[in-house]
Order: sequence, then C-alpha cells, then structure tokens
Amino acid sequence: MCGIAAIFSYGSTAPGVDRDEIEAITERMRPRGPDAGGAWISPDSRVALGARRLAIIDLTDEGTQPMADVDDELRIVFNGEIYNYRELRARLERLGARFHSTTDTEVLLQLYRHDGANMVELLRGMFAFAIWDTRTRRMFVARDPYGIKPLYIADDGQTFRAASTVKALLAGGRVGRRRDLAGIAGFWLMGTVPEPYTIYESIRAVEAGTSLCVDERGIHDVRRHYSIAATLLRGAHDVAAARLVHPPTLLRELVTDSLRHHLVSDVPVGAFLSSGIDSSALVALATEANGQPLRTVTLRFGEFLGRESDEAPLAERFARGLGSDHVTRLVTRDEFNADLPRLFDAMDQPTIDGTNTWFVSKGAAERGLKVAISGLGGDELFGSYPSFRDLPRIVNTARLPFAAMAARRLARSPKAGAVALYGGTWAGAYLLKRGLFLPDDLPSLMGAEEAQEGLDRLAMPYRIRTTIDPDPGTSFGRVAALEASLYMRNQLLRDTDWASMAHSLEVRTPLVDASLLRQIAPLLMVEKQRCKGHFAQSPCHPLPVWLAARKKTGFSVPLVEWMGLQPDGTSTRMRSWAHIVMERWA
Amino acid sequence: MRILHLGTDSFGGYGGIALYNRELIAAMASHPSVDEVVVVPRIIVGECEALPEKVTFVTSAAHGRLAYLNALRKARGPFDLVVCAHVNLLPLAQLIVKRPLLMLYGIEAWKPLRDPLSNRLLRDVRAVVSISDVTRERFAGWSQYVGPSLLLPNSIRAEWYGIRPRNESLIARYGLEGKRVLMTLGRVVAAERYKGFDEVLEVLPDLDDDIAYLVAGGGNDVPRLKQKASGLGISDRVVFTGLFPEEEKTDLYNLADVYVMPSRGEGFGFVILEAMACGVPVIASRLDGGREAVRGGRLGQLVDPTNPAEIRVAIRDALAAGPKRIPEGLEYFSYANFERRTHAIVDALS
Repeated sequence: MCGIAAIFSYGSTAPGVDRDEIEAITERMRPRGPDAGGAWISPDSRVALGARRLAIIDLTDEGTQPMADVDDELRIVFNGEIYNYRELRARLERLGARFHSTTDTEVLLQLYRHDGANMVELLRGMFAFAIWDTRTRRMFVARDPYGIKPLYIADDGQTFRAASTVKALLAGGRVGRRRDLAGIAGFWLMGTVPEPYTIYESIRAVEAGTSLCVDERGIHDVRRHYSIAATLLRGAHDVAAARLVHPPTLLRELVTDSLRHHLVSDVPVGAFLSSGIDSSALVALATEANGQPLRTVTLRFGEFLGRESDEAPLAERFARGLGSDHVTRLVTRDEFNADLPRLFDAMDQPTIDGTNTWFVSKGAAERGLKVAISGLGGDELFGSYPSFRDLPRIVNTARLPFAAMAARRLARSPKAGAVALYGGTWAGAYLLKRGLFLPDDLPSLMGAEEAQEGLDRLAMPYRIRTTIDPDPGTSFGRVAALEASLYMRNQLLRDTDWASMAHSLEVRTPLVDASLLRQIAPLLMVEKQRCKGHFAQSPCHPLPVWLAARKKTGFSVPLVEWMGLQPDGTSTRMRSWAHIVMERWA
Repeated sequence: MRILHLGTDSFGGYGGIALYNRELIAAMASHPSVDEVVVVPRIIVGECEALPEKVTFVTSAAHGRLAYLNALRKARGPFDLVVCAHVNLLPLAQLIVKRPLLMLYGIEAWKPLRDPLSNRLLRDVRAVVSISDVTRERFAGWSQYVGPSLLLPNSIRAEWYGIRPRNESLIARYGLEGKRVLMTLGRVVAAERYKGFDEVLEVLPDLDDDIAYLVAGGGNDVPRLKQKASGLGISDRVVFTGLFPEEEKTDLYNLADVYVMPSRGEGFGFVILEAMACGVPVIASRLDGGREAVRGGRLGQLVDPTNPAEIRVAIRDALAAGPKRIPEGLEYFSYANFERRTHAIVDALS
C-alpha cells in the first residue's frame, strides 16, 4: 500500500520532468506511505517516478520504490497488494525469471516482462501501478478490476502525469485547477464524483479494470480487462457446478480461499467488526483460516446508545465468543469536530460518505494495526441492499399506467414524483433510488447553464447503462452489477481508500475480489438473496441466531446530531450534509 | 478378520468408481490379518477380472434389487468390518451392522442426500474414507458427521501406461497431423457440464492455429459442444472421438501434448493420473479434487477454471516445456502406497 506518482514528458516539445514536481506530488501522499519514499528520474529527464511506501510485504529496504528489475530495464511504482504473488513468482521462476527481493512489486515487473499487458488478467489483488519500459520507451499503467486502489491521470497532450490522489497531482503545481461541471453535477446527483470524472477538468480517473499505454504518441491501447456484468452473465450460464455443492459449504470454501489470500502479510492483520452478518462471518472464517483470533475494532457513538444502530454490544458479545482481542472505540461529537478539518483535508474529492471509515481506521491504527480486513462488498455480493428489492419494483411499476400518480400518493420521498420520468429503465430507476438529488434539482444548486452543461457531459444515464452491458440477464444480476460498479466503486471503495490511508492503514476487502466473483457468480445466480443466510451458516460454528437474524442497520454515524442537520426531505438528511461538504472540502 | 464390501460396481464394472473399488478390495484382501473379503456388487456389466485371493464375489447380487437384498440376507456374518462403498447403500449396510465404514468419492457426498433417513444414518458411521480432501471437507460441511475421517486417494498402475510413440492410425483417424494436441477425457454429458470442456474451447481461439483440442469421450452433450466450437470458428481444430475402446486409451493419451481439465466437479480426477503416467504435462483445477491429483501443483499446473487467462497461459507454458516425462512424485499414487494406506485404515478400524 503506497502512494505513487509518474510523469512522462512524451511530446517532442514537452519540457523535461522536474524533480521538484515529482517530490511535491509524493510528499502530498506521505500519510499513504510513512515508512519510506523515493523518486527516480530517467537519465534523459523524460520520465519521473515517485512513491511513498507503507511496508506490508517484505519489510526490508529491498521493497523500496521506485523499483527496477534485475536487468535494470523495467522500473515500477505500485500501490496495492498482489495476493497471489507467491504462485506467480513460482511460475516465473520455473520460466527462468530472476529476483532480487521477496516483494510482490518485483513479481509485477517480471510478469510484465513475460506476459506484457495481459499480465493484469493473472493478478489477484488490489493494484494501481505504472511500469516504465526502457526497451520500448513505453509506460504501462493499470488499475485493479473493482477500482479498490485509486489512480488519476492528467494529460495535456505533451506530458502525462499519474498519481494515487487528485490532490497530489495538484500539489505538483503543473495541473490546471479549473472545476469540471460534469464532476460537480455528478457529486450532486450521486453524492460522490463518478469516475472517470473528477472535480477538475484536467484530471481523470483511470477507470477500474482498465489498463493503458503511453509512448511518444500519447495515451493509447486503453483496454478493459474485467467486467462485473460479464462475469455475472457468465455465472448465469454456468450453474451446473454451483448445484453440486451445499451452498454454505461452497461459500465457506471460496470465501476462505479469498481470505487466505487477503491474510498474506508480513505485519499483523486485524479486522473491522460490526454486528452485521458480513463482517461477523468474515471475522469467524478469518479466525479459522488464521488459526488464531484477530484483533478487532468496533465503533460506538454515544448518540446511538440503547438504539438498534448501536453495534457495540452485539459485536462485543460475538468477539468474546471468538476469543478476539476486541476493542470498542467510542467516538464523540467533540472528537468529530476536532477531526473535521483533517477529514476534509484527507477527503480527496467531495463525498457524503467516509466518516465512518475515518474513525474505524483511526481506531485500528491506534491499536498498532497496519492492515485491517473489512466486510465491505458483502451487500453488493449477496444482494442485501433494499435496492435489490426496490429497483425491479420501480422498473416494473413505472411501466404501468398512472404510475406517477400512484407514486406521488404512496411515497413520501421527494423523488417519488419522478418515478414515471425515470423509473421505466434500469438506469433511470438506479438514479432515482441511489441519487442524492435528481437532474431537475441541479439548476438551483449550480446554475441553469452550468447544470445543463454538466449533465450533458456527465451523461449519467449512459454511464449507468454501460455497467449492465452485457446484460447479466436477471434482476438480481443487474442490481448486483449496478451497485458494485457505481455505489461501491465510486463511493465505498474510494472513501475507504482516503479515509484509511489518512491513518496509514491498509484496508483489505476479501469480498471485493474479482476471482471470488468469477467463482461465486454461478451460486449467486442460483441462490440470489438466500446467499446472505448461507454466508451466516458458512463458518464451522455458524453465526448465532441473535446475530444472524438481526435487522440490517447499515454502518452509520450520527451526523444529524453532530452537525445539527436540518430536514431536507430525505430520511438521512444527506442533502444537507452534501451542502456542507461542498462548502468545506478543498 | 472378515470384511463385507457393499458396492455399486467393482469387478466387471466400468469407470472410475469400479476401478477404485477393485483396487480397494484387492488391497484389503492382501492385508495379512484379513481372512476373507465378501463383495456384494449391485451391478456387473462386463466380464469379471481375475479375483484376488481371499475375495468372495457374490455375482447373484447383481440381478436386481430383490437379488441384492437376498444376497445381503444370505451373506454370512459375522463381519469385523462392513464397507459401504456408496452412500446410497447406507440404509442397507446399516441393516447388517450399525456402524459401517463409509466410502466417499465425489459429488455424491457434496450436498445433503435426497433421502432424509440416509442423512441421519450417516452421522453414526464408524468412519468415513474419502478419495480426496475436497470431498471430505464438503461432506463435513453439511453432514454434521464428526467421527474419524480418513483419506485414501486413487492409485495408478504406472506400468500399464507409459510414454509411447504417437499412434499413426489414430493421428490419421482424427486428422491431427502436424498439430499440437490438447486433450480432455471424460463423459461428455449435459448433466456433467463441469468437466472443463467449455473452458478449453473458449480459450482455443486465442491460441496458435496449429493447436487442436481432442475431446476424448462420448455423450449427449457432444452436439452442443460441436455447435459451440462452430460458433467460435474453431470447428476444424476440435476433434470429438466419441466412445472409444478401452484398449485405445493409452494411445489416446499419448497423442496429447497437454492434458487440460479446468473442471469444477471432480472428486479426484483419476484421468489426471493416467495422463501423467503417459508423460503428458497436466493442467488441473484449483477448485476441485484435481488439485490433489497434481499434489497442489507439484506434479502439474493448477489453474482457476473460471479465469480464461490462467488457462491460456498454463497451456502456453506447458507447450513450451521440454520433452514429455513422467513427473517425479507420481509414485505417491502407486498401488504399493495405496495398499499401504488401505492396510493402515484396516488396522485403525480393527
């Protein structure tokens, strides 16, 4: 886990790279990698690579980045973890590759040498990296299938720049700061800026599951190497194997395999524990796989005491049963207020989420943890969001006559009146269900012309549609693809990254794993929402009924109480919070 | 010591389970303390092989259900060990002895049985012997069985196989002149769409044109796979042998440059041992018993069958490897080791 940066002056008239710029970019990412830092500039000053390192695998100096291969022909900066690096290394050694370290970083170099751009399809893990190939004078850049690790680029037609954060790219001083109306419109619509847009016109995200090359011609060979929708569709056609095995047993097998990979580390691995099924089953399975209890952390808020949303009592009870070294971390309004300036500084782009992860990461880091496992992704995988029930209903209802009238009468949501307008398609229904504001609200938030331009360029319905192309074929598959490709990618994973990295904590998400999805997709297509119950049954000692049968509450923080948020027509008052974020984020 | 073996098929039977049972019966009979192994088969379809010493084979049992029950009734006890060689026969086995030894092979033990009585009865068996760890784990996942659980993987008589020159008449018959050959052997039936045929077909278009795929076996799913190959534009590179005579099997393996089986439903994958015994580099699945047949990657490559890139790369690596050789370590699955393990099980239970 690191912060990485790359600059390539590929244009014939581009000035050479500037050491001060690469150092300023990497310095802005210091919390992402407090253990070491470094920069490398090519002898002809056309390429610069920089990195900050949080040492997790191979703690020696051998793991320092930027790293060259043994032949000094390839050089890499890499953020993330490759969980199958030992298997990959064994194969590469059979094929004659030589190594000078025991890092996963060096495995990437040799894998690139052997398999070229196709290497990304062999990786299991979370990653964003740039490899400079001195032989071909090309830079190869790639990001993991789900977009767990961030990577942003700026290309002015002469110079290509990449970094782990938007704010780091800006810190170099050479990237324009003009706000992007599409990114701003995206924030008001979704509560987060949808990739590939950012809040700045000159900066774009490398989209999840994508790789690209840069050479003297600029960016080319942009290639998508993973599709969630296609994986789910494949699962729907491949159900024979899923029917062979008792579902909880198969889930146990596949999730444990993912966990074993995610537990690969040279430092202790802890876990976030709520009182939900996903984190509880995950911690139980991890304890079995690890052979010893983990250190676990649960958040508690005084405002929730005695309410269902207080997760601490049940989490403590469950942790005691597992023998976990458990801590409940109390967060108060005073602490929240004290942390707020730092929180907004760490927030890479405006978002209405991330506060919960900020504090649970802080709690884990206080316990001396560098790595923590999270149950993030379970709701998308096992279909436990209300959207799995509601989206098909909205799509079907909106196609009926008088749908709008019925929706207005029946629903209290300010968005209910828009059912007929948006609800007839999956993209529209998703916008309706997950949207913070609707397109019609945007003129009052950002001005009529700006809203129009922003919405036109953002083309959100089109972007939503592309996430279910190819069509997974079932309502369950469509909602799973939508949630994983939009809400989870743009909000949960991105917020988890900045909020945890601010505390120098690496969060690992065994349920957000491309290999796991490929393997589990047939079972998901057969069992659908029943998978959640199967997951609760999957540990050797299934989750107790008092935990498994608990009503889902979500991982929330008392923002309403802390910020005195005013009613805004939504139950969460997140619209009010979005206004505060937009004002204070910088 | 007297042992009763209740099985579906063994001597005079075809396929993997019959072969395994024959080896098991022979290994039990060779135990110095065993005086007799009485074998009651449910099915006999072919000519019986020579019976090992101390084996009594009750052929009359294979004439229908009533005959089987009658044979069981007449089987003279007492027996020191009753081996129930298929989970479906458990209720019958428990008519003879309360706590038989239960053999587990693969998918029949991976989820609860249709018969609730059997699901309950199996908790009381004396021990289970599983062909693979994956089957043992999957059985434990649903059965609530907590007793002794032992492992007895397949054996391979390597001397029956070996590296041979390619059989020219088979090359001509299947049009494989000048081709590098990938091969998968197995029943090609719709009910078993987890053998990995589809996965190999799907990566074939990305491999060099001189690479052909030999699907060795017949069944009702062949038309679908032919259509799929046609849709992928590789009909001319895929050969379906249909059912083939047993005596051609070793020559068929020897046609192959790589044996590839990215499967998801193999209890063990005996065919993988056969391919290795012919010196053919093997690619097996991480997600089923195949991984145990290659001993976790020591004897062959392992792939995630759901990842086409891994399959593609493994095939290329295997094709680029040196000349054929029988992997060191295949001895682990020798009959001598199988017999030794069987004797240890008999000792543990006697």
